[in-house]
This record gives sequence, C-alpha cells and structure tokens, in this order.
Amino acid sequence: MKNFWKRFYLVIVLLFLYLPIITLIVLSFNNTKTMGVWKGFTLKWYQEMLSSPQILNAFCNTLFIALIAAVVSTIVGTIACVGIMALSRRQRNTILQLTNIPLLNADIVTAVSLMLAFGLFGISLSLGTVIFAHITFCLPYVILNVLPKLRQSGTSTYEAALDLGASPVYAFMHVVLPDIMPGVFSGFLLAFTMSLDDFIITYFTRGAGINTISTLVYSQVKVGIRPTIFALSTVIFVIVLVVLLLSNFLPDKIAQKREEDAKKGIELTPEQRRKKKTLQRIGYGLMAAVIAVVSIFGGRYVGAMTGNGEVIYFYNYGDYIDPDLVTAFEMQTGIKVVMDTFDTNESMYPIVESGQVSYDVIVAGDYTVEKMIANKLLQPINYENIPNAANLEPSYMEILARTDPGNTYMIPYTWGTVGILYNKTMIPEGRITSWKDLWDPELAEYGILMQDSLRDTFMVAEMILGFDMNTSDPEELQQVVDLLIEQQPLVQAYENDAARDDLITEDAGIGMIYSGEYLYCLDENENLDYVIPEEGTNVWFDCFVIPANAKNVEGAEKFINFMLDAEAGLATFEYLTYPSPNSATMELIDEEIREDENVFPSQETLDKCDMYHYLGKEADQVLASYWKRFRGN
Amino acid sequence: MSNILELEHISKKFDDDLVLDDLCLEVKENTFMTLLGPSGCGKTTTLRIIGGFTTPDEGRVLFEGRDITNLPPNKRHLNTVFQKYALFPHMSVGENIAFGLKISGKSDQYIRDKIRYALKLVNMDGYENRDVNMLSGGQQQRIAIARAIVNEPKVLLLDEPIGALDLKLRQDMQYELIRLKNELGITFIYVTHDQEEALTMSDTVVVMNQGYIQQMGSPESIYNEPENAFVATFIGDSNIMGGVMLRDKLVRILGVDFPCVDTGFGTNKPVDVVIRPEDVVLAEPGKGRMDGVVSHLIFKGVHYEMEVQAGGFEWLVQSTSMFPVGQEVSLNVDPFNIQIMNKPESEDEEAVVIDV
Repeated sequence: MKNFWKRFYLVIVLLFLYLPIITLIVLSFNNTKTMGVWKGFTLKWYQEMLSSPQILNAFCNTLFIALIAAVVSTIVGTIACVGIMALSRRQRNTILQLTNIPLLNADIVTAVSLMLAFGLFGISLSLGTVIFAHITFCLPYVILNVLPKLRQSGTSTYEAALDLGASPVYAFMHVVLPDIMPGVFSGFLLAFTMSLDDFIITYFTRGAGINTISTLVYSQVKVGIRPTIFALSTVIFVIVLVVLLLSNFLPDKIAQKREEDAKKGIELTPEQRRKKKTLQRIGYGLMAAVIAVVSIFGGRYVGAMTGNGEVIYFYNYGDYIDPDLVTAFEMQTGIKVVMDTFDTNESMYPIVESGQVSYDVIVAGDYTVEKMIANKLLQPINYENIPNAANLEPSYMEILARTDPGNTYMIPYTWGTVGILYNKTMIPEGRITSWKDLWDPELAEYGILMQDSLRDTFMVAEMILGFDMNTSDPEELQQVVDLLIEQQPLVQAYENDAARDDLITEDAGIGMIYSGEYLYCLDENENLDYVIPEEGTNVWFDCFVIPANAKNVEGAEKFINFMLDAEAGLATFEYLTYPSPNSATMELIDEEIREDENVFPSQETLDKCDMYHYLGKEADQVLASYWKRFRGN
Repeated sequence: MSNILELEHISKKFDDDLVLDDLCLEVKENTFMTLLGPSGCGKTTTLRIIGGFTTPDEGRVLFEGRDITNLPPNKRHLNTVFQKYALFPHMSVGENIAFGLKISGKSDQYIRDKIRYALKLVNMDGYENRDVNMLSGGQQQRIAIARAIVNEPKVLLLDEPIGALDLKLRQDMQYELIRLKNELGITFIYVTHDQEEALTMSDTVVVMNQGYIQQMGSPESIYNEPENAFVATFIGDSNIMGGVMLRDKLVRILGVDFPCVDTGFGTNKPVDVVIRPEDVVLAEPGKGRMDGVVSHLIFKGVHYEMEVQAGGFEWLVQSTSMFPVGQEVSLNVDPFNIQIMNKPESEDEEAVVIDV
C-alpha cells in the first residue's frame, strides 16, 4: 500500500511536469486551429512552419542572437574572470557583488533601463542593440561558471608556463584555457539558453522587423496562437531534450572509459594519440564550420536588413496578414517588407511613441489611432498616391470620419462589430435579439460567455441602459457596474480568445464575440449563429496609418495601395475572415456571405452603432477604476 | 667562482606587511643554496622575486651582472620547480616536459631526445605517454623537475619541492637532488622550512626570519656556531640560557662558572648561551659542574633523550647511555661546545620561536 502511494505520488509529479508539454505536442498534430477538439492527425502545421518566412526568420534570428551573444559573452566573461582573479580579495568581492546583482535583478528592469540607455545615447534600436543587450545579461552567467573553475585551477600552472618561457597569452591559451574549458563550456551553454529563452529584454531592445521566437509567439496573442507555433515549440523541445541528454550522458561515458583505461593501465600508443588528436581536430573543425555558416548566414541576413534594396518596415498584429500577400507585393514591387508584430494596441503604442523604432506603415485599432493623431505621431495620407482607395465603401468611410474627420489619417484594413454568437441546437433560431438575453437566467444552463475586456464589456451594459458607449460619467458607470455585477452569477466565464473555442466545442451555448470570429466558427461548427443585438453595438476598424517618422513613405503608400486591390482584399478576407471595407472585394465574395447581414450589417443597423473614441487620460483612469470595481467584485 | 645571482637591497611590502627589508644576497655559481626559515619569513617571496613572479618595491636583481629586476619570468634563464608541482593536467608526461622546448622552437628530434634524457635523469624511463594525473606524488615531482631542467637553466629554483611527500620518499629525493645537482653542474636555490633538508643537501644555508637574513654559511657553521638564539632554536634542538661573560674564556651559567673558548665579549657582559643537547655529558653526581635529577626519558632510536632539572633549568640532553627518571646525575660541557651569542639589540632581531 505504501509503495502504491509512493508510486502514485511520483506519477502525479511527473504528470504535473510533463502533461502540458505532451498537450502541446499532441495539439501540434491536430488538424484544426481550435483547441479542445481532435480533428485528425496532420503534419500541415509543420509544413506551414517550414514554409513560413516569418517563423523561419524568427527561428534563425533567435539562433543567431543566441549564438553571437553566447560566444561574445563567453569570451568577454572569461577574460573578465582572469582580471577578477588578479584583484586583491577585497576588490574581488566588491566586483563579484556588482556582477551578481544583474542576476538577481528583475528582467523588466534590465530591459527598460537598456532601452532608455540606448535612447539616451542616440542609438536606434536594431538587431545590434538586441545582441548587445543579450551579451550584457549573459555576462554574469559566464562569470558565475568560469570563475570557480579558474579559482580551482589556481595560478600555479600559469606561472609554471611563464617560467618555461611562455608569453602570458600563450600560457593562457595553452595551459589555463584547456584547464577551465568545462567551466567555459557550461558558461557558454547557459548563456546560449538564457538568450534563447529571453522575451522581455528582446522585446524592449529590438528594432523594427526583428522577431525572435518568443516575441513572435507573444505577438500572436490577439488572434490566438496558430498551431504552427505548437509545431515550432515541439521542435525546440525535442532539440533541447537531445542536447540535454547528450551533454548529460556523453561526458560521463567518456570519463568512465578513461577511468577504465587507466585502471587497466592502458597507455595510448603514439598512433592512438595521433588518432585522438585528429578526432579532436575534426571536432574543432566542425565547430568552426557551424559558427562560420551561422555567421555567414547571419551576415547575409543582417545585410538584407540594412541592405541595398528598398525596404518598408511594417508593424502589425501577429498573424494578421496573409503571408502570400506579402510575398506577392515583394515580387511585384521589389520592395522588401520587414514585418514586426505586436499583440495589443497597448503594447504597440509606447514603442511607436518612443520614436526609437521607425516604421513606415502600421496597422492599428481605431481608438489607438485617435490617440496617435492627438499626439501627432501620424502623417496625413496622400490619396493621390493610393488610387485603390476608391475601392473603399463610402458608408464605412463616413462612420470612420467620426473618429478621423475628413479621413485624413486612417485607411481601413478590416472592420467588424461585436455581437452574440449562440448555438442553434440549444437555443431556437431567432430567440436572441437583444444584449439583455445575456442576462436571461433561462439561458444560463447552456453557459453564457462574456468578454474580459474593459471597453467591450462595459459597452454591452451601456447599450442596455441606453448610454453613450463613450461615457465616462461616474454615475452612469456606477449603474453599468451594478448591472454587470447582477449578471455575474449567470456567467460561465469571462474570456477573450478562449470564447471562440468554447463555443465551437459546445462547452458554452451563448457568448459575446467579434464578428470576425463568426465565419471561422461557422466553418468549425455549423450550428452557430451570430446576431447584432437590436440596441446597437460597437463598430471597430483596424486601419493602415503612416507614422510621422516613416522613412519610406512612398513604399508605404505602394503597400497600402496594393492591399486595397480587390483581389488582395479577397485574400485578406479569406485569411482573416474579418469583414472587408472594400466594395470591389465585396463583388468577389460569395453572394451567400455577402448577403449575410450578420457579417455585413445593413445601413439601418449601422446607424444604431457607434465607435469607441479615445477619451483622454483622465477618463481612461475613471474607466479603469470602475473596471476594477467590477472585476474585483 | 663568480656570482651568478645578486640581490641588492631588496624590499617588498604586501599591503602594510613588510615581508622583505633591505635584503642582500649573493649566490655563487654552481652552488646548492638553501633559504631556510619558518613560514612567513620571506623565503618564498625571495624566490618569487628571483623567478620574476613578484616585483620588489626597492632594490635590484642581477643575473650574471645584468639587471633583470623588471624582466618578466618568461624572459629569464631560470626555471622553477613549484611547491605543488603545477604540472599541466591536460597534457601527457612527454607533453609536459616538451612544453618549454616547443616554445623555444627546438626540433622534434631534439625534443624527443631531451624528453628521454630527462626522464632517465629522474628515473622515470618510459613514462612519456602516461597521463600526469595518474602518477603518484613522488612521480609527479620528478616530472616537474624533468620539465624544468630540460630547458638547461643556469639556475634552478625549487620551492619546497618535496614538502608534500612522505618521510621515506623525502629522504630518497634528498639524495636524488644532490646527485642531480652534481650531474647537471648548475646552481640550485632551494626553499624549505625543514632544517634537516637544508643541512643535508646544501653547500650554503641562508637562515631567514621576518624578512631578514639571520645567518648565512655552511651547514656545519650554521649548526655549530649559531649567531643568535633564533638560529640556534630553529636549527636542531638546543639549550638556550641567559648567561654572563665574566671575562674572556669564562662564562657564568645558572650561577655556575663554565670555561669556554670565546673571547672579545668584554667583562661581565650579559650574553645568550647555546649548548646542544648531545654536547651535555652526564656523569655520576658530584663529578660534573652541576648536579641535577632526570625528570623525563624517551628512547629515540640512535640515542636517549632526557630532561634534567639542574640549577632551576630544564636541560635537554641526548646520550647513548640511559639514566632512568629520578636518578641523580651531574652535568658537564666541553668548553668547545659552549656557544656564546650577543643578546639581540633591536626588537626586529628578537628571536622568534616558531614550531615547524
């Protein structure tokens, strides 16, 4: 019995550790984007991963940064250790304290201070700044690994080498270095892994168009992580596993063999020695070759980034454009698109505001654009250079003009509404007409889902109460909060991305959702239906804008013009399933979908809708305090 | 014989600790010189200054008359055998020995011959391809010596090279070192805190304490005629007592007058007196100069060691004949075996007894 519990405990611990990873690996072979349903085995995500320039680019970036950072920090760190050893004990302790502080320091502090420092010294963020930052934070790890080894090996062999006529450099290379090599190597490995892993520091110090795996994954949070990332994570996990196994078992094996040989009194004959030397040389050669290949590749890559050809820097939500369109644009114009991605408007804004990274074209949400206009971060669009702007549906442009008078700065990319998605097998078709239905206790048994997002969640209550969705009046907000609190017992969950999956898998029967998700959900589960409630709703636009500090305005205009082409609009619609603001594209879309008033609401419905506006800092704080009141309840 | 090495007015401070103070030393060609003293006496620092690992604050180092004070160790024609051997752990025995030769660009054939010659010299034939980490302490020491001497230095510095070995091996190595020194015909400068090693091997012994040279001379003179109480205590066992030099050739010790051979100290002058334990002759009571009682007895192999209470002093006595504890005896000393020393004049010269 005791044994059983012991085993049980072990199994629980192992499950706890490995179940998440197994889940990830299984999902990477799942033939759907939706989590929680198994739609059969597929390798398509691996295929997509291998053919996606963005992922491959991020992958190579990650490796390149990690390798350079690890090599440089290992060299610099080892030299630093030699210096530290030469200090007196008191000085040494002081220096060690100083070098150890960054280890304990929060990454976020390191990241922000590096970004500020780069800004202060007028260094614009680029791949170089990322590598520099990585070298900085890897250094203490190298010192931590090398110094004990150096201390252990002592100064006597070094002095002996000098005594025998070696110059200090020769003595270090031929006597000290081989002795401390295990420490140097483990320092290198640790630095490599730390760099590979890092998100925060990379995020704050990278320049336009530079993504590592971690920043790429993070930027896809808005649209939900594509399973290609699962595939990529699986590959990385397997690689790390193999390296770990090798580095754990190989040295043991070698040491064992050596010991056995020593016990047997086996001496290496000169031939064997020569053989061993040759093997060693081949090993070094291989290592040099790998480094050379990566450097050449990296060099070419850096060359391409800073390179001769025309480039536009494009800042977009993660996975928010059909990659084929980018390729097509590059083929057509010869302009290289360097795309950088973010996860939310809130994380994109400060980066653009800081002015340290200059983009040529950005896709952003309407009320963030409003804030950018207010802070003079954008430049007016020159419609003469964008003839395809004529394709834009005038009625949408009219709505957009409420935020951007005269349509001066914003060119809509996608748009949509917020509404209710419900399952027709549970709730009769036509039963849902109003936001109030989300407060219906009868429907609670099917599972009601709400968004966990300040503006959207408040908007629902504001529509029911007949308030302006841009209100910041404390009395009205108090009523909104009271209404939402009243609804709380009925709500199954407040969630953003997961809402889509829960409705598809029928874990929930009804929930508020963006219209863009509707068509995707319908593909996965045909029982779902979408309704724009009669009280009206929010209409949102994601728009192309050109920042004031753009360097290649002409390229940006060409790109926007290309994206407004009817065919390009269709490709976008099919990739994202978000409604298109392009009337030329509309002609090409299936009639059935085009006529679907849920996706493309009638003018009458649109008249009841409104857009969110940027309310200013003070109002934002008021809203946030009421949001806290509600969420804290 | 000319001087191969001269140290002129060398001073060295570590932090606030004065390790060497105005030290002068001349080393003759082809001698075996030993720097002897307790830990912290400055002997190792002296050796490191000669080797070039430490730079003196003041003074000069001359090698064959040339100033080498600021020459780095790799430019000096000296080689060192280090206390902890300092073999290169990732190299085989042969590679260790070849290290210096490769740097000076000798041919492969020359290096091979030299390795074989050196290994033969230290009685380690056929060990070229062994892993140094698998050798015993004594073997490692021999390799360290071989590694140093293949470079044909004019001076070989040895820093307590056999201190870590066990007693029997240490004695064997002492003879080996003497043999090596004679075969190579070069100068050895040897650092140790072991007085027996110093006396056995050296042509010249330099006794050091607190950064000063206390006495320098042949092993016999150091042992038989210590110039001060420190040297007397440090080298061998001794009875050291205060005494008064009544006049030439007569000293009063513990209230009893002893004839001696020393002159020139003046009259009624307080002095230190050293009498070696083997020079105290025991006889029946009343037959010697002083009477006493045996209080301790230990058998030491070659001789007995006894403590005798006489005149209020505990005499250390070594004798081949045995007197049991409690036995009454008389003490006598041959005038030749009484060594008279001046009392130290300054505090720095004050003898410090350190157990070694």
